[in-house]
Amino acid sequence: MGVDHRSAPASVREALAFDGPRCAEGLQALTSAFPGIEAVILSTCNRVELYLAGDPMAVPEAEALAAELIRFHGVDEDLIGGHLVSYHDEGAVGHLFRVSSSLESLVLGEGQILGQVRDAYRAAIDAGTVGPIFHQVFQAALRVGKLVRTQTGMDQGKLSVASVAVDVAREVFDSFTDKTVLVIGAGKMGETTLQHLKGLNPGTILVTNRSAERAEAAAARWGGQAYPFDRLGQALVEADLVISTTAASEPIVTLEQYHRVQRARRNRLALILDIAIPRDFDPRIGDLDRVMLYHVDDLRAQAEQNRMQRQKGVDPALAIIERETATCYARLRHQHDAGHLLRELGDWYDAARGRELEKLFASRPHLCADESDREAIAHAMLRLQNQFLHHPRAAVRSAAADPPENHPHPLLDYARHLFGLGDRSPKSLRKI
Amino acid sequence: MMRGPREWGPAARGLRMGIIDRLSVICFAGTYGLALAAELARFVVRAPARWYAATGLTALAWLVQTAYLANLAWKSPMAPVASEFGSMMVLSWMVGVVGLYWMLRSPRGVAVGIFVLPIVLVLVMGAGWISPRGSGWMEAGGRVAFWGAVHGIFLLGGAVLTCLAFFAGLMYLAQMRRLKLKRASRTGLALPSLEQSERINQAAITMAFPLLTFGLLIGGILSLSGAGDATAHAIRWTDPKVISALGMWLVFAGALHARFRPDWRGRRMMILTIVAFGLLVFTWVGVVALRLPTAHGSMTSAGSGRVATP
Repeated sequence: MGVDHRSAPASVREALAFDGPRCAEGLQALTSAFPGIEAVILSTCNRVELYLAGDPMAVPEAEALAAELIRFHGVDEDLIGGHLVSYHDEGAVGHLFRVSSSLESLVLGEGQILGQVRDAYRAAIDAGTVGPIFHQVFQAALRVGKLVRTQTGMDQGKLSVASVAVDVAREVFDSFTDKTVLVIGAGKMGETTLQHLKGLNPGTILVTNRSAERAEAAAARWGGQAYPFDRLGQALVEADLVISTTAASEPIVTLEQYHRVQRARRNRLALILDIAIPRDFDPRIGDLDRVMLYHVDDLRAQAEQNRMQRQKGVDPALAIIERETATCYARLRHQHDAGHLLRELGDWYDAARGRELEKLFASRPHLCADESDREAIAHAMLRLQNQFLHHPRAAVRSAAADPPENHPHPLLDYARHLFGLGDRSPKSLRKI
Repeated sequence: MMRGPREWGPAARGLRMGIIDRLSVICFAGTYGLALAAELARFVVRAPARWYAATGLTALAWLVQTAYLANLAWKSPMAPVASEFGSMMVLSWMVGVVGLYWMLRSPRGVAVGIFVLPIVLVLVMGAGWISPRGSGWMEAGGRVAFWGAVHGIFLLGGAVLTCLAFFAGLMYLAQMRRLKLKRASRTGLALPSLEQSERINQAAITMAFPLLTFGLLIGGILSLSGAGDATAHAIRWTDPKVISALGMWLVFAGALHARFRPDWRGRRMMILTIVAFGLLVFTWVGVVALRLPTAHGSMTSAGSGRVATP
């Protein structure tokens, strides 16, 4: 159960968030309110989700869980009314797999969510609220998340203009520590692009602006050097990578000017990111052999191509998730059936042993005279029972660990038949 | 009446050896082919297993080829570079190991194998099916054999570097075209940065030029020294192999000179490299494949007629 960027506005998500220590507190509150359950809380800026699993008697209904959520956060019931979404059983497993594969993310194919799912799982392990069901489900979710990314390429290609600019820079230059980045103007877009490019550790950053004060301020902010605007030509000669974001109504660098610059640069490779609208650089400069000129529209178009490329991966990703969900859920059901069988087997033998002991002590009262003799006889019977059941139990556990594809292991039915335990357990004995 | 293997004549033994030899070549050529198929599968298969398959198969093919060449060197008292077949086989082997190293060093998305493996495959097949296997000039012994081997080794080193410069040039041009067209990098087909391709290309050209120069000089001197000797290995300057090798040297000289001409950098330099590679292929394979008259690779020894040399 939870809210995400589709079902609830940011204000609701913020009100229900489990940030930092609140996550551990939330897990403790859930296990206190609903004893015997497994719980994991996934809380990110785009979603707050509570994952609960256990016996159906222990797992609360949606209303009870919502009430606990309202109580924990102390929020008004009307605030979250209609925003909560819940999934059950196989649907819940499939949802988690879609989340870890980033199909439910705001930015399709983003890589952060897989780490966030891993963190949520680890936090729940630390809080001691993860049991056999969630170990299996969350480990499968992490594996499916990776599988979807590697097999569909959904994490390939950047989606923002600034990230695409960084990719282009990497395709032109091999190392950046010996490169000079020149920023012309101090527009917002230029600043965002420079922030991304700074991750490449450029050797020198030069900043030039018609206003010397703004250039000084921007240079101080970005750890660069201010350069006088009237020496733009010289700055272009020194620069390998140019980010231009001025508000000039005409191009500030013409083809003839850049011809001279390129001669002075001894025809070194150059990358110009012209992010200004209208353009700062004459588009014909891009025809020069050793100059890559990218306008903001080119970067946007490339980001759009990448987005479409990721979109193509959605159908194959859904097919993978559907297959993996079915396998994971079948395995869970199978293990549940095996566990139930083992419990029934133990209970049946315990009852039989108890009955036989009672009969024995009733018919031979002298055996009860000494408590230690009585305990010794009871222990002997218990050891005998365990020895009888050792191999059947081991075989059932082994069958549970390695079920055939999406089908219960036939050994479980054989065991029920052999030990006279009747039909298999009802389908929804456990809930997720 | 059937004859046992021991009763087979020299011709039959030669034929049998030839078949076994070709089967060995097919064995590692086929493995290189499978490695290339695994490389091409990058357009549809994104699982990491594809990369392991491509590099693993390349490594396997290279190891089998190494064993083949080691066996060749063990059986023959002459160096593998003594024949055109051996030289080309060693060239493909060296290009193979350079490509394998490059594949391992590059990020997995970078499509090095798509450029390198076809050339390795062509060289192996060219060696196996076109190049003459005979060798005689080493048998002449002494000065000719020694300097002939040095000539061959220098040219072999130059050829390996020419191939490397060619790969880097192709990658540069492909990457440049993509960037100029402002196309997003296709998934699974990343290329090295322009700067890296250019650096490899320039380094290869710089190292190849002295090797080619010395190799050709030694060859020229060997040819001149035997010009008046009827029993020796005189080669005319108009020999197609000599002309194309000199053409390749001139192209390399031009490419080296271009380092001092900034306006020649980039596309022009890469096109020069491709021309040089074309001349290399013509010299090594083209002349033989087109059956052009050449005295290179043979010597006229008194009483024994024509014998193949590298």
